Amino acid sequence: MITVKQLTKVYQSGKISFPALKEVSVAIEKGEFVAVMGPSGSGKSTFLNVLGCLDRPTSGSYFLENSEVSLLNEDELARVRNQKIGFVFQTFNLLPRLNILRNVELPMIYAGAPAKERRQRAQEVLNQVGLLEWAGHRPPEISGGERQRVAIARALVNQPAVILADEPTGNLDSHASTEVMTIFKKLHRQGTTIVLVTHEQEIAAYARRILFFRDGQLIKEEITSVPPEVNNQ
Amino acid sequence: MSLIEGLRLALESLWVNKMRSSLTILGVVIGIAAVITVVAVGQGGQAVLMAELQKIGTNIFAIYVNWQEGEPLGKHDFTFQDIAVIKELVPEITYLAPTYYIPAVARGPKDKKPAQVIGTEADYAQVANVKVVRGRFLSQGTGTTRAVAVLDQALAGEIFGRLDPVGKRVTINNRPAQVIGLTKEESGFLGIQTSKRIYVPLNFAQDISGQRLIQQLEGMAANQEKISAAMAKAVKVLERRHNAKDRYKAISLEEQMKIAGKITGIITLIIGAVAGISLLVGGIGVMNIMLVSVTERTREIGIRLALGARRKDVLKQFLIEAVVLCLAGGLLGVVIGAGGSMLVARLAKWPPLISFGTVLIAFAFSVAIGIFFGLYPAGRAAKMNPIEALRQE
Repeated sequence: MITVKQLTKVYQSGKISFPALKEVSVAIEKGEFVAVMGPSGSGKSTFLNVLGCLDRPTSGSYFLENSEVSLLNEDELARVRNQKIGFVFQTFNLLPRLNILRNVELPMIYAGAPAKERRQRAQEVLNQVGLLEWAGHRPPEISGGERQRVAIARALVNQPAVILADEPTGNLDSHASTEVMTIFKKLHRQGTTIVLVTHEQEIAAYARRILFFRDGQLIKEEITSVPPEVNNQ
Repeated sequence: MSLIEGLRLALESLWVNKMRSSLTILGVVIGIAAVITVVAVGQGGQAVLMAELQKIGTNIFAIYVNWQEGEPLGKHDFTFQDIAVIKELVPEITYLAPTYYIPAVARGPKDKKPAQVIGTEADYAQVANVKVVRGRFLSQGTGTTRAVAVLDQALAGEIFGRLDPVGKRVTINNRPAQVIGLTKEESGFLGIQTSKRIYVPLNFAQDISGQRLIQQLEGMAANQEKISAAMAKAVKVLERRHNAKDRYKAISLEEQMKIAGKITGIITLIIGAVAGISLLVGGIGVMNIMLVSVTERTREIGIRLALGARRKDVLKQFLIEAVVLCLAGGLLGVVIGAGGSMLVARLAKWPPLISFGTVLIAFAFSVAIGIFFGLYPAGRAAKMNPIEALRQE
């Protein structure tokens, strides 16, 4: 599903170049739940940005569902972000001026879906994260945990190939974190592919595989033992 | 992203900043309103001018002495014989009257008023379309110095009060004259109130001024087609009689009106251009606010790009916002401009002329301004790097 080979990203600032990713190679299968861990500056966010087609690798190849993403032009990348990728950010990144339904609809607007279909689908995913009754409210009117659930609904709305979550619980208290992670777990069970960046061990524990980054390199992979308190829920 | 969706996004964004949006369009509103008002009033004036011409007649002309510098004054002055000969030799001319205009003061038993004295004779009534309502107009005798006067009805009312002036005495610049008739009140030209008129025999006018002079000849051709021939022949007769070349000029009322029309047209253009500059300033204001808006909404742009907006979607969104702003300004400007020209027209007493074309051009201009001044800010929005934009607080 996702295959990266020798992925390298070098940031150039004047004469100084900084390698954020050094020849990372990894494959993620369909339906996998992968956590990416590492200290700050380890390259995990850059890795996620490249996977999310927000950034282009300096060298190396990236196959997403068998198509070579690094060969695509800007408009095609936008289309990949729109159709195949669902982003969940640490800071939620909802548009505060639009109501929750409109926020969730947004990726479908750029997909060119007709209004009726958009509303139906947006309500469906809002229902999935348990926030349908808040559809008419604006993001500032709901709690952080709820906002992140709206963001997840938005990520799901175009039925993407993979959900990319960048520290999705970084701004949440432990109760809200558990709520959000429960949703991710549920999505994983339903077969959604998830790649999640975190630096918290308990959050990473929800994943089935953990990739450890340091200094731009993938240094270690670990298959998690299934924690009983997570599995028995 | 469809146009309707883009429009909806734009309206949503503009609605959030209602105050800012309305202040932004103010410049465009004022600009469009000013242009509409100037053009409407100008075109209205032009139309009135033409209507006035139709009313007075397109077959009226005047001949005057084209005095050359260095020549003694009065060398080529008109004579009463000139008139008689021209009438005899030029069949295209139906009426021809000598005129002498003197500003004067008319005194009656009740009051005194400034008045325009016109020394002339009977033909003038036809040429200038003077309507006698009581008594009679001047007779055709040119040699007479009889001290008689025909008064504008309104003037007579002012200086005689409720007395019937016909047969009574009026004093013109301290010279007594007998009132023989009253004319219909003059409405003035283009609604501008001129001095009220007193018609007297030409010789009497010369007595009042103390100068033996005929200022010009005013005539009427049989019809519009014959006016050029009438003027040319009359000038030829005068040149032969006075043995002088290029000393007489004839001009038709139509030509005079056209010159006046040209002048008002130029004035309209100049004022319109000044108003157009305010429109330009309005456009710059829109660009300024759009740039602020793009900077403020950097994060929003990042989010949209991450969710799959193409660069051209972002460009379109901001461009539509600018165009919607300017179009709203244009709409309001047209309404205010229409009101403004109605007001000016009421004060100037002529109908405003807001043509469909003017309104259409105003709208097209608003859109053009929106696109022109919106393109740069929208381009900046579209060029943003999504990662950096998302990092923005």
